[in-house]
Amino acid sequence: MRALIAALCLAALPAAGQSPFPVNIGGPFTLVDQFGRTRTEADPEGRAQLVFFGYANCLNICSTALPLMAEVVNVLAEDGITVTPVMITVAPDQDRVETMGAPLAEIHPDFIGLTGDDVALQEAYDAFAVEVTPLFQDPEYGWIYAHGSFVHLLDASGEMLTLLPPILDVDQAADIARGYLEPQS
Amino acid sequence: MRSSISAALAALLMLLAPPTGAQAAEGTRIQVTGEIIDTWCYYSGVMGSPDAVVGSAHHTCALWCSAGGIPVGLLAEDGTVYMVLKVGDDTESASGDTMLSLAAHTVEADGMLYQRDGLNYLVVANVVSDMDITNQNHNDYGNVPPFSIPDPNK
Repeated sequence: MRALIAALCLAALPAAGQSPFPVNIGGPFTLVDQFGRTRTEADPEGRAQLVFFGYANCLNICSTALPLMAEVVNVLAEDGITVTPVMITVAPDQDRVETMGAPLAEIHPDFIGLTGDDVALQEAYDAFAVEVTPLFQDPEYGWIYAHGSFVHLLDASGEMLTLLPPILDVDQAADIARGYLEPQS
Repeated sequence: MRSSISAALAALLMLLAPPTGAQAAEGTRIQVTGEIIDTWCYYSGVMGSPDAVVGSAHHTCALWCSAGGIPVGLLAEDGTVYMVLKVGDDTESASGDTMLSLAAHTVEADGMLYQRDGLNYLVVANVVSDMDITNQNHNDYGNVPPFSIPDPNK
């Protein structure tokens, strides 16, 4: 069944021509990763990036989107396309430099978590039109947040390529990404 | 079971294949009538068949999903699903007040259609008509899923 859907999805992908983005998404940011290194919208290894706004212990859409990103990264790697999965935290009180690495590494060893001070994070949220709303405080997991849930495909310089709705399955998402990325030599 | 799978497959195809079979070069203004749906439960199938995860049966879960960041969609009368990027001044694809107030409602929307990567994206400029929840399918399915309304005795 999945193979049939994947084949049909592949057939449905556009051959040429794209609508422009209806909203202006993407832009510069400067944050800090789980190793304490400064990272901007550009990937230091020159790789394309999948960027998602969420938090490491989120039980809602992140528990779907982050594993989806990891699987897409693995599928693309089989084609020689190396992509870095990146999560920008919407919960800096929970995702600190010293805490966010371990849960992200469980999802994918290459996952980069980014945090920063309020000003730096707001700059990133504004660039990607992401709103963050605290919903309620879970006694076990802390604050639960509402936040944007699209996965953003960026090139190595941080330029926005396209959106990946988190409801897509791995094959669909990977097919879309392949339309924008070339295998590394 | 087979009909549920067929319906889900048909809906998936409607999402992925532009109605015209062509890729629009730029946005196209459209008027479309349909239900504001929870796209995750509709496509994943984890909460039930496509017929059960819409309408009044799925209203509470749709609110939870929208609040949690799941993108909302508009399920048109012809089965096409549009990913709703924003409604009016609402800057979010989900979880804004407008999205929550429209969950499971049937609306007539006026907006711009953008077709990208084989997906239909809709920016709703104006909700011309909000017909409330017209699909009263809780009579057939109850509350889907039942746990979306917490049991006060637990």
